[in-house]
Amino acid sequence: MVNNLNTMSANSTGQIVVKNLVKRYHTRPVLNKLSINVDAGALCILVGDNGVGKTTLLRILAGLVRPDSGEISIGKSGSSRESQHRRMIGYLGHQSMLYQDLNAIENLTHYARLYHLPEAEMIVSESIRSVGLEESQYQMVRTYSRGMQQRLSVARSLLHDPEVLLLDEPYTGLDKQGAQFLDKRLQSLHQQAKTIFLAAHRPHRLLSFASHVAWLKDGLIVEYSSVADILGKSDLAVYLQESA
Amino acid sequence: MNPIRAYLSAVWNILRKDLQVEWRGRQGVPVMLVFALLVVFLFNFALQLSPDLQAGLSAGLLWVSLAFASTLGLNRSVSLEQENKAMDGMLMAPVDRSAIYFGKVLSNFSFTFLVGLVLLPVFSLFYQQNMFKLMLVLVMVLGLGAYTSLGTLLAALSIQTRTRDVLLPVLLYPLALPILIAAVEASRSILAGQPVADYQSWMTFLLACNILFTAAGLMFFETILEE
Repeated sequence: MVNNLNTMSANSTGQIVVKNLVKRYHTRPVLNKLSINVDAGALCILVGDNGVGKTTLLRILAGLVRPDSGEISIGKSGSSRESQHRRMIGYLGHQSMLYQDLNAIENLTHYARLYHLPEAEMIVSESIRSVGLEESQYQMVRTYSRGMQQRLSVARSLLHDPEVLLLDEPYTGLDKQGAQFLDKRLQSLHQQAKTIFLAAHRPHRLLSFASHVAWLKDGLIVEYSSVADILGKSDLAVYLQESA
Repeated sequence: MNPIRAYLSAVWNILRKDLQVEWRGRQGVPVMLVFALLVVFLFNFALQLSPDLQAGLSAGLLWVSLAFASTLGLNRSVSLEQENKAMDGMLMAPVDRSAIYFGKVLSNFSFTFLVGLVLLPVFSLFYQQNMFKLMLVLVMVLGLGAYTSLGTLLAALSIQTRTRDVLLPVLLYPLALPILIAAVEASRSILAGQPVADYQSWMTFLLACNILFTAAGLMFFETILEE
């Protein structure tokens, strides 16, 4: 197991530090003393088989799931459980978190108000434009395709300009054009030094621009490597080749 | 932003969102209203009571209608947040999570109170009883406030379960029984024209229930919602 944890104090904005994280569902351990340190500005792909705990890890980091034990630190201080600290996290889960009976503007405005964003109207308008949904911004989300909902979810998760992005299988439901859009968006965010921790079942399209890969297996991060060093990690290289 | 102002702003935003969703979808209040009116009509035609007995029963029937209608509204409130995991989006926001609870309580209360206001003239018509009494409206505010405070907390408890439609009434009705008894007793006294002193203790009890369940919501809502 590679444990890159040197210190529990995450000094840089956007750094994610996890130490000895344990989460059990009933008696089944999902995460078993997991530790990882994702540097600020990294684009780290979290890989692993189905049911291995990728979603659980991301939801714990997002403050949506309570861990049984362990320490989490995101950014300069505190954890994702603190209300003001949640401002620096953007989370994209399996589901859109959108209200079906509201249109795109109303959905994003609701979130903009919850985040107390100044000039919410302008930010919402810009967010919708950035994901290419201007023409359907007045339609109920109920009428959107899966891909359109995913685009709007991306806009929702980025609305408050978070320092840390937690993305759980963000390519789900996107067509080729949508996937290319997300590639560009992730690259742009990476260039802006945002920390991106992204779970992907099929990570190949990300390897060209990601900085790190973390392999979750048996409740632990068994490999954590920069993309450039993957070839030196034979097990991880084989796993990535098999999951292609 | 001032923390108190930020908190109140979050409560208002959640209430406003629920009102907006209801206005667009119209899936909550109309269903609650139809259900409550059905109870009124069915009991009126099924029992065929004399005017004196009808007047005595109206307080009980009013609260049965409101309790059932409110439960439907609470279920709708939960399913709204569970659909697409919208609740997660609110939990991620940098607001005190008890603000979500208060926002949901206020929206659930508003919808049920609206149904109650529509029911009053209907009861007056069918049960030949003057229901337009300020103290009765006050009992409705206190009774529904306590009922929706408790109901919203239990709805949050059931949000993670697959059987939430069944679980909510099973949990809610036994726990809400004291609230309903107090509300019925106070309403009956008011409709019978008794002096305030005769039902003041029931009103105080309802006020205490509001404080108790609101405090419980403040303390447990966040814990209940986290997996």
